[in-house]
Amino acid sequence: MARLRAEVLVIGGGATGAGVAWDAALRGFDVVLVDRADLAIGTSGRFHGLLHSGGRYVVKDVVAARECVAENAILRRVIPQCIEDTGGLFVTFEDNDPGYGDRFLAGCHTAGLPVEEIPVAEALRMEPVVNPAIQRAFIVPDAAIDVWKTVWSLADGAVAHGARVLTYHKVIGLHTEHDAVTGARLRNELTGEELDIDAGFTINASGAWAAQIVRMAGIEGIGVIPGKGIMIGMNHRLVNTVLNRCAMPADGDILVPIRTISAIGTTDIRAADADEIPVTQAEVDQMLAEGERLVPGLRRARALRVWSGVRPLFQDEKAGGAEVDTRDVSRTHAVVDHRKRDGIAALLTMSGGKLTTLRLMAQDIVDAMCEQLGTDRPCRTAEVRPPRNEDGRYYQVGSRLAKREARLLDEQLICECELVGRERLEETMRARGTINLDDIRRQLRLGMGPCQGGFCIYRATGILHGVGRLSGAQASTSLLAFLQERWKGVWPILYGDQLRQARLDDWIFQGLLDVEHLPETGTGAPAALLEEEPIPA
Amino acid sequence: MSRHDAVVVGAGLAGLTAAVRLAEGGASVLVLAKGVGATHLSPCTIDVLGYDPEPVDHPRDALRRLVDARPDHPYRLVGADGVAAAIDWFKGCFADGPLSPYAYAGSVDENMRLPTAVGVLRPSAVVPETMAAGDLRAGGEVCVVGFRALKDFHPVLLADNLGRAAGVQARGLELDVSPEDRADVNALGFARAFDDASFRARVIGQLAGRLGAGERVALPAVLGIADPHAAWRDLEDRLGRPVFEVPTLPPSVPGMRVFATLRERLRRAGGRVILNVVVTGAERAGARIIAVRARVGLRDAVHEADRVVLATGGFASGGLELDSGWVARETALGLPVAGVPAPGDSRFRPGYFDDHPIGRAGVAVDGDQRPVGPDGAPAFDNVTVAGATLAGAEPWREKSGDGLSLATGHRAGGLMLAESGAHAGPAAVGMGG
Repeated sequence: MARLRAEVLVIGGGATGAGVAWDAALRGFDVVLVDRADLAIGTSGRFHGLLHSGGRYVVKDVVAARECVAENAILRRVIPQCIEDTGGLFVTFEDNDPGYGDRFLAGCHTAGLPVEEIPVAEALRMEPVVNPAIQRAFIVPDAAIDVWKTVWSLADGAVAHGARVLTYHKVIGLHTEHDAVTGARLRNELTGEELDIDAGFTINASGAWAAQIVRMAGIEGIGVIPGKGIMIGMNHRLVNTVLNRCAMPADGDILVPIRTISAIGTTDIRAADADEIPVTQAEVDQMLAEGERLVPGLRRARALRVWSGVRPLFQDEKAGGAEVDTRDVSRTHAVVDHRKRDGIAALLTMSGGKLTTLRLMAQDIVDAMCEQLGTDRPCRTAEVRPPRNEDGRYYQVGSRLAKREARLLDEQLICECELVGRERLEETMRARGTINLDDIRRQLRLGMGPCQGGFCIYRATGILHGVGRLSGAQASTSLLAFLQERWKGVWPILYGDQLRQARLDDWIFQGLLDVEHLPETGTGAPAALLEEEPIPA
Repeated sequence: MSRHDAVVVGAGLAGLTAAVRLAEGGASVLVLAKGVGATHLSPCTIDVLGYDPEPVDHPRDALRRLVDARPDHPYRLVGADGVAAAIDWFKGCFADGPLSPYAYAGSVDENMRLPTAVGVLRPSAVVPETMAAGDLRAGGEVCVVGFRALKDFHPVLLADNLGRAAGVQARGLELDVSPEDRADVNALGFARAFDDASFRARVIGQLAGRLGAGERVALPAVLGIADPHAAWRDLEDRLGRPVFEVPTLPPSVPGMRVFATLRERLRRAGGRVILNVVVTGAERAGARIIAVRARVGLRDAVHEADRVVLATGGFASGGLELDSGWVARETALGLPVAGVPAPGDSRFRPGYFDDHPIGRAGVAVDGDQRPVGPDGAPAFDNVTVAGATLAGAEPWREKSGDGLSLATGHRAGGLMLAESGAHAGPAAVGMGG
């Protein structure tokens, strides 16, 4: 069996894990980051894309609000290319609690959140589709954040500092010796091969799956209740500013412009299993009804896709002890020290948290690790920019179009909706070494536009087949898996123009290509890519 | 205001077929359509019935079984003999058409097996002559040739899958030839280039010495738009072997050839086509429609008609719509839509290839293709429905798309001529079989 050695093993390739890997690698640790699938495929990749100003928490939880205020400012500085500076609007309605607006303003002042009340007429000039019945409007520094770009940027930064990233490697056991975790056994989910990692320290950043991980070290009593939230991606930017209903957080009260679409969210429904969170038609109906109050006419706008994510809501049977703090406030984070809680050293678990505070979460847990290791290495993530953010500029929604226009005549355009060119696609396929087109989709936004891959996915399959020297069977697997994965995200919102689009796609994939009668499919990694580069970097 | 014997709504295969039949039978015909129809999106092979759900070898027999087993299927309206009559008529359309001698080959008796752009051998009954050599029922050696600049056709992927079919040996070649050496050219751009002998010579030059003795050559379906017969024959002659086209992603060049052929026939018979108009409703007198309203830009025009053929297609073409409250409507005349699950019931299932409850939604009709309401009574006496608007089929799965549109459009025209007493020709009304 293959063996790897590392100082720090980070389990979970979401925003938290990537943030931890980046933080620890910057402090000079030798890091391995593992995920059972691709990076940012769980909770991180399944939210609305809002970089909180803190406004959402100022009334309910001023600690969380203060963290957001500080972290929002830091992330704008260190990962500007992942952020679009949209600003945010909080609007009140007649049926709101009438005192909420004033409490909101007072909360902003307490939390140190820059806020400005503007006349309703000005708010409606800024965002003409907003319900004209709004009563008050406040401007805050909310922003839109591209989570895949963020996670990949942090992971690439970690790699540039010597870290290794193993995607599609599932932790199937934790090794322990003398009451300390000493590493883990992994299974390569593509090849089935197993691999042992000897690690001086293990950080469990697996979010909703954290309880399953620590149970492998015999730790009981930690429960994670998955809180399901659904979001609907609407074609077009219905708004250019993040729109929040200024009230206690509820369903369907946030609309975030994110790149070329806008996402409306969200709900909070307890799910039985973090891996089983299907979206129902009834949830979509409810979300549309709520969204209609925020933006009248939303029901007639075109919905592109719906997705659901799970908030990890931690429950700890030992909670209340001085050192163990998982609290009932789910949106703030806490480090669970298993040496203190369970007598098992060299293992920490991150509980709770939210994307906006990912950097702080990483700092806190790596600080705790340093303390346990007895070493003093200061955190540098508030100052150092990870790759692709060096120029210090925010992302602009037209930047892809600008790049594309420069090469209009000499490069083939593979995805017209998201303006993905052939060279970038081929480079990404080579770098990733995956036969999973969904991995490529998340990295390049291939197939995320109005046609949902109707045209580009056949093309991408053909190109991947060539670049990866795939067999016909592997290519078929890639194509069919993509179609099924896409279907999961579209069927609950198939009405209006998107049903029309889906039916056209049926005609293309079934009527024209007859993909349902492809000869047998095959799995496994693409041979050509693996020969060249065993571990994707 | 205009007045016609018949207004046909929709310019896809069903609408144009009905219109040409009506016009050639002596009726004055006006076609109103939002744009060109599904011809430009579909391969335009006449797939009568490809799967039931097993692959179908003999569509005529399979049609009889289908009509018995599924009395709500729109093929019940035409039957196997009606389909055969429509196919004969369709083939005849090309005989003195604008692209002649470009022709269609095949019959309702047998399905060929032709490769798709992913290399599946797909059953088709009647296909352009330029595709017929792709029938690989008996196996064969194929060299699939594509172009790097044509992203909608991947020859090596196609060949890898095709080579797994019984008796087939296949390999792919990607050529670096493109019109004006551009990096990104769609199917229509290549088709225009293939009309030019010098471009064909460049392609042939690249293939010199690279083809095996027994290999036939597959190319994307881009071999000419102005004179496809000449382009295809020239390639066969100069390569000294059978050459065949494989449909690409849209735009569909074979579909454009069909559209051009039918539209020209309609023009010659005195019919008119107005595109870029949206039919928004009708004026009625009792159980009859006396005029349709069509929006041009911001203005409504009224077109009086004795009869109306509705051939606007299904959800894909905008003939049917489902709103976010899950209410379906037929968009041109407001006809009742059958087969839509009630709000609260599931419309789709979680597996992409599952049987989806909304799959066969459409306008239900009586035996004369007149739209009916939930009670089974005709909604209008002088409206005939044809093509993908009809309830009861999932043509993209059955591989029955263009067969259904052609046959029901053909019959719609025939029924109207018979009713109006005009001369309808010998194969006027296929009444089931």
